Amino acid sequence: MPDIAFLLPAYLLLGLPFSCFLLLWLGGKSLNKFAGWIGVLTTAAGLVVSLLYADAGAVHTLRFEWLTIGSHVVELSFRFDTLSAMMLAIVHFVALLVQLYSIAYMHDDRNVNRYFAFIQLFLFSMLGIVLSGSLLVMYIFWELVGLSSYLLIGFWYTKKRPVWAAQKAFVLNRIGDAAFLTGILMLFYYIGSTDFEVLSLEAGTISPGILTAIGICLFGGCVGKSAQFPLSGWLPDAMEGPTPVSALIHAATMVAAGIFLLARISFLLTVDARLVILVIGAITMVTGAVKALKGWDIKKVLAYSTMSQLGLMVMAVGFGSWQTALFHLATHAFFKAGLFLSAGSVIHAVTPGNELPGFEPDYDPQDMRTMGGLRKALPITFICYLICAAALAGLPFFSGFLSKDAIITEGFLWAAEFGTLGYLFPVLVIVSAGLTAFYMTRQVWLVFFGEKRFPAIVHPHESPVAMWLPMALLSALSLFFWFSINPFNAEGWFLHWIGKEHGEQLVWVPFIATAVTFLSIFLAYRETGADNPFKVNDPIPVGEPVQSPWSWLRGYSNEQYFLIPFEVITKYLKAFEKNIVDALVDLVARGSLVFGHFIAWVDRMFVDGAVHLTVFSIRSAGRAARNMQSGRIQSYYIVTVMGVFLLILWLVAL
Amino acid sequence: MIDHILTFLIAIPLLGAAAIAFWPVDSQHNFRLIAAVALLLEVVVTVVSYLSFNSQDAALQLSEARDWITLPIGSLGVVSIDYALAVDGISFPLVLLAVVVLLVGVVSSWNVNHKPRAYFALYLLLSGSVMGCFLAQDFFLFYLFFEFMLLPMYFLIGLWGGPRREYAALKFFIYTFLGSLLILIVMIGLYLSVIDPVETARMVGLIGPDDAVHPDMIPQIQQWLFDGKIAPEQLIHTFRFTYLADQGNYIPGSILSAASEFFIGNIPVRLLAFWFLFIGFAVKLPVAPLHTWLPDAHVEAPTPISVVLAGILLKIGGYGFIRIVDGFFPAEALYSAIPLAILGMISIVYGGFNALGQSDLKKMIAYSSVSHMGFVLLGIAAFTPEGFNGAIYQMVSHGILSAMLFLLTGVLYDRTHDRRIDHYRGLITVMPKYTVITGIAFFASLGLPGFSGFVGELFTLMGAFQSDALPVWIPAISTLGIVLAAGYFLWTYQRMFFSSFWYKNATTQVLTDLTRRETLMLVPLVILTILIGILPGLLFDLSGPTIQAWLEGMK
Repeated sequence: MPDIAFLLPAYLLLGLPFSCFLLLWLGGKSLNKFAGWIGVLTTAAGLVVSLLYADAGAVHTLRFEWLTIGSHVVELSFRFDTLSAMMLAIVHFVALLVQLYSIAYMHDDRNVNRYFAFIQLFLFSMLGIVLSGSLLVMYIFWELVGLSSYLLIGFWYTKKRPVWAAQKAFVLNRIGDAAFLTGILMLFYYIGSTDFEVLSLEAGTISPGILTAIGICLFGGCVGKSAQFPLSGWLPDAMEGPTPVSALIHAATMVAAGIFLLARISFLLTVDARLVILVIGAITMVTGAVKALKGWDIKKVLAYSTMSQLGLMVMAVGFGSWQTALFHLATHAFFKAGLFLSAGSVIHAVTPGNELPGFEPDYDPQDMRTMGGLRKALPITFICYLICAAALAGLPFFSGFLSKDAIITEGFLWAAEFGTLGYLFPVLVIVSAGLTAFYMTRQVWLVFFGEKRFPAIVHPHESPVAMWLPMALLSALSLFFWFSINPFNAEGWFLHWIGKEHGEQLVWVPFIATAVTFLSIFLAYRETGADNPFKVNDPIPVGEPVQSPWSWLRGYSNEQYFLIPFEVITKYLKAFEKNIVDALVDLVARGSLVFGHFIAWVDRMFVDGAVHLTVFSIRSAGRAARNMQSGRIQSYYIVTVMGVFLLILWLVAL
Repeated sequence: MIDHILTFLIAIPLLGAAAIAFWPVDSQHNFRLIAAVALLLEVVVTVVSYLSFNSQDAALQLSEARDWITLPIGSLGVVSIDYALAVDGISFPLVLLAVVVLLVGVVSSWNVNHKPRAYFALYLLLSGSVMGCFLAQDFFLFYLFFEFMLLPMYFLIGLWGGPRREYAALKFFIYTFLGSLLILIVMIGLYLSVIDPVETARMVGLIGPDDAVHPDMIPQIQQWLFDGKIAPEQLIHTFRFTYLADQGNYIPGSILSAASEFFIGNIPVRLLAFWFLFIGFAVKLPVAPLHTWLPDAHVEAPTPISVVLAGILLKIGGYGFIRIVDGFFPAEALYSAIPLAILGMISIVYGGFNALGQSDLKKMIAYSSVSHMGFVLLGIAAFTPEGFNGAIYQMVSHGILSAMLFLLTGVLYDRTHDRRIDHYRGLITVMPKYTVITGIAFFASLGLPGFSGFVGELFTLMGAFQSDALPVWIPAISTLGIVLAAGYFLWTYQRMFFSSFWYKNATTQVLTDLTRRETLMLVPLVILTILIGILPGLLFDLSGPTIQAWLEGMK
């Protein structure tokens, strides 16, 4: 197909969600009844368009002139290729299911029109990222995604926590974005364009040191959006948003944008930059997994798990294999969305009565300590949850096994080239895979097995079909055969389709990985037989959890709105402004005043004094002169004589 | 009319002011009506001039010039001051901005009840002198308007302001006045050093008094000047911007000539003159650490005056940088690029941090202005096409956005006379429309793509990165400004507008949503920021050719 043929899908893919956003937002509450269906239909249309125009293997670029500065034309470009075709399909598909689910889940909310409007705004921006043909365009939509994430996390704006979570997410993302923007502007300086095609041709002209710096700056964007260390603190808090939003944005799509970015710029990443990426990814992966071990909030455990999995994908890029990163992105998108939707179904079931989704009962319906034994009441949810959890834990015959396996293989291959120390990284991946299996077993047990720990007022019931159907579809997609015919060989059609060449296989990797996974599951299972499994019967602490001394650095679930160092600087600069800068001005002003008084005194004493003196002397002279005219005849005589004398003198002198 | 269209732009508000001053009936409705009509007329005239402005043409357009004062002063030559007006790509975007903001300001002044006659007369006086500043093509005329602006401003803050208005007004006046003294000193130096080649040619008889000027004539007379062939009495000194900007018109051996041998201490006089001018305009922009008048003036000024102050008056500083400081001393500007950019960077970061620390909404916005105007300085310091165009764009964008922000603050202040951020919570439940528009203004100001703030910051930063005169770390640190902007705007938004409703003084009935008049003044600004945010070419096409020609002329 010629490039020009892609003008129509570009308009449709971006135009449909945006017009839908405007319609639903401006349409007001009168649209509440149909809002969900309008959204679903729009997204379904988008899905059809993106499948019709999927042209794998070819690259189509559309360029629009945006503005001219001097002789420099700044273009906005959009790109259709395999990568975007894959992302288009995933984003549309997950969004479609999530919206379908939301129709039931958000059924009672007063502002349902706004909810679906914001989802469409999110889709518009996310599709913009996917279709962007240059980093500038990507940045524009990147920020808009940040906005829609802000609006959706803070959807229940009358509650305090969602609102600050929203703001925290935006601000922490902004820190990463500042680095991202710096990288973009450096590319503008060194190459003069950020178009991917131009970059791929000219990246070689930049010296490696600068290219490394640029790569790390661009990675900053990924650190923010994909919740990598040290900007990861926003993701667990983002769970304050509605659960379907967590599934769509904070599990399947938006957080994956960072990985997508890395895949797009993989050719720019030097060896050194990749090493930085690898280390950051490893830290994120391990901290996320460890945090997930101890969490009690059903959604937060999943959020930490998302963080950990994103770290894994970032590590895959660090290993130099962006294809396996995207593979894991795809499998993760389905099973993690499935897990979130199922978790939403669980929360829905244990929330008492017909209250609004924003309602706050006197206990936390998301706390796993108040669940337990739900498998009988929620059979469909249970099965979906189990399948998706198995995929996440990396059990054989599930999609997660394939993609994780592929990354571990890449890790060992990379380490063989890098040297002994390099083996640390793939080993870490295996360890955290073990942790993943452990915490997922723990979660499944806490929610679905054991005693019923929820209050008596709760009568759990299975969710309606609009909710379980999306869950079921997503769990079906978590099975291996969608991605590779052979359940033990990751190199199926999918990896080849997104462009991975046939690589070396390590036969022992699947066995080691499976062994570790089963060992972890066994350890977790043994724990369930204990008196107080996972300390579930300990009393629930009241109030905010105790913060570790370093928590301020990451701000995990910290009430602090911003990174504390910034606050400290602000405090001191404000004091500086008040006590130094402004005080200096005041001092100058006061000094001038004092000086003015001094001058006035000088003026009075000396200048004016001189004037007085002059006046005085004139006056005395005048008085003297007046004395002369005293009327005394002698005086007149003397004056006359003197005058005559002087006159004569003058005449003689002549 | 088209020949004198720029004179109309200055005269209409001034005549309006006179009309208000002498209007017989003492009723505020007449005064505000006259002011509104005058500024509506102003808008019409601006639209006409926009239609006759050719954006492809880099030269001065719609020019009109008339000899104003001509005075022979013996061996010092002849004093010649012209009444010269014109616009080009540098000033025209700012003229458009000024007209919009002034009109919005009148709508926002609608309910001024205290001495309305004086208020509206002074407001129109201010409007006239602001327009004069942007249109003047003669340094003397510019300076006249520049200084004259202080007078109505002083009274508008000092009489209609808040509790500490006298302090603020005086601080504003003294700060700006000291700045303009430095400008005056340089202006005299420039005057002594520069001649009007055309008039001098007439004087020496190269061309007849009524002959047209041939373009080749000017290099010739400049060569004569260079060779010292013209007697001092025959030199006609000038204040015209175009002649001041051409180094060929500087008398050899004069104090500010390019090869000036004058030093004060170890500093060349030209460099000193550059810094004097810079400081003079830096007070207006404002550049940290010369900004402390701004928060005080804003906090005490009545809403419409804050709008005009932030929306237009600050831009005269940036305009002065481009037209006068860089225009007359380009070599010195390039030489000083790094310190200038560092000052810009400090303004961005320092203003941002201070905004984060404020508890008064208006003060927060005032400091955000310092931060955003820092981008203007950064772009100008870069000395690249992106930088200059970005700076002009950022000025227009900030003019629109700061006007919006101050109007929004005014809306709240009108209702409660309370601007403390921590006195409000959950305003969204009682003022939904207000919340949406504030959200748009905040997100636009923190540089969200799709709004104008993003483009301004992007291109000033891009200019700074492109610049060969600047090291990369300066713009890199400046990007911290966009992080801080997100911090202070969103934190304020969260604290004031979300969670459940609460107001310290608990008078909920006072907190009504936007009235029709308030919506009327805010919505056009929303439309403008989105319009130029999506189609920045509307502005870049205006400023681009002039900047390009100017930069090429310098080479």
